Amino acid sequence: MQIEFRLNGQPAAVEAPPDITLLDLLRDRLHLTGTKEGCSVGECGACSVLIDGQLYNSCLVLAPQVEGREVITIEGITAPDGGPNDLQENFIVHGAVQCGFCIPGMVLAGEALLRRKPNPTRAEIRAGLAGNLCRCTGYQHIVDAIEATARQRLSVPADALIS
Amino acid sequence: MPRFDFVRAHTVDEALQLLADPRYVSRPLAGGTDVLVLVRQEKPSFDRVVDISRIAELKVIERRGAEVIVGAAVTFTEAADSPLLQEAAGCLVEACLAVGGPAIRNAGTLGGNIINAAACADGVPPLVCLDTVARLRSLTAARCLPVSALIQGANRTALQPGELLTHFAFPVPPIGVRQAFTKLGRRNAQAISRLGMAATGRLDAQGRVDYVRLAPGAVMPSPQRLEGVEALLLGQEPTDSLLAAAGQKTAEAMIAATGRRWSTEYKELAIQALAARTLHRALFGT
Repeated sequence: MQIEFRLNGQPAAVEAPPDITLLDLLRDRLHLTGTKEGCSVGECGACSVLIDGQLYNSCLVLAPQVEGREVITIEGITAPDGGPNDLQENFIVHGAVQCGFCIPGMVLAGEALLRRKPNPTRAEIRAGLAGNLCRCTGYQHIVDAIEATARQRLSVPADALIS
Repeated sequence: MPRFDFVRAHTVDEALQLLADPRYVSRPLAGGTDVLVLVRQEKPSFDRVVDISRIAELKVIERRGAEVIVGAAVTFTEAADSPLLQEAAGCLVEACLAVGGPAIRNAGTLGGNIINAAACADGVPPLVCLDTVARLRSLTAARCLPVSALIQGANRTALQPGELLTHFAFPVPPIGVRQAFTKLGRRNAQAISRLGMAATGRLDAQGRVDYVRLAPGAVMPSPQRLEGVEALLLGQEPTDSLLAAAGQKTAEAMIAATGRRWSTEYKELAIQALAARTLHRALFGT
């Protein structure tokens, strides 16, 4: 079946069988392999994407469900020049990345949180990351990176923010 | 060859038509957090999913007279964000926030939580505690069943083929009634409940209990309010020793329903504390 939606700001139309997940659609059909497959049952958050601005596990979404929706994957999170955005920079600066497998999901969970709560407490950041597992970092530096980003975004004028 | 077909319903009537089509074994799909796990199987038990997640009628959260109506496709996030439910169904809001993590709460629905009927479903104790009735529709009929009767056991409901759970309805609790939900899991996030507990309560001017409801989760084969425990409290001053006795009676009710199991040694103590603490929060606010 034909599935039409917006993907990372661009219109997308894909021919795909109705019984595959959004995760498989992204990785196998559209070759956007930044979205990772971890547990495939919604436990780990490695496959996190934004649909209409909200965080979802793409392993728990059927591909046809995104018809007409706006999907943002890690490939769609960039600075205007195509490099890392402020949140991604902060992951680097704060040493929040080790093996990196969970990081696309962590960045999207962080973005989803900051859209909902621009000024989160550390406890709220932890709650925002509750569905994303990391086996390397111990989370501390990931929380630091999101907290620093929130602070920076609040201290610059809104129209200078990276969307 | 796809293992199943996909079709989207835009209204409840259209969904019922699709679900009744004898050419398919259809499965409603709302949040997908349970159905998508089944989808991984090589041969799912259905050959068509009917997407009901965009049906506006199933997304309502509103007060109608003395009742609160909640659509079956309302997600945990939508329920938790609702000012009406924050006001009228605090135990339900707390339970919704205890489900999974943000991504699971954005997708999963209250209707799916009840129809999947996992023994540990966090939506069950608050809905039962609030005396919630489930509204079911098929092409030919409509009926109402208390949530406690709709769920017949672990992963078993009274839902008939072709029937769709469309709404929940519960009476607006009397003025001054406070609510609480407590969950016991292995960790805070993404953990299935080992035990859950929902309570509502109110004290009169003399500090005696004049309203109380208690519903445990994850321990009863079929969910129910513990009216024996409620009767113990009603009209009494809820001292620490009375709340401890209520906890004891809750544990007795659990053991009467399930017998003694390998986990009972732990759960008996845990549920006593959980009941006493949840009742304390409902009656005193802390």
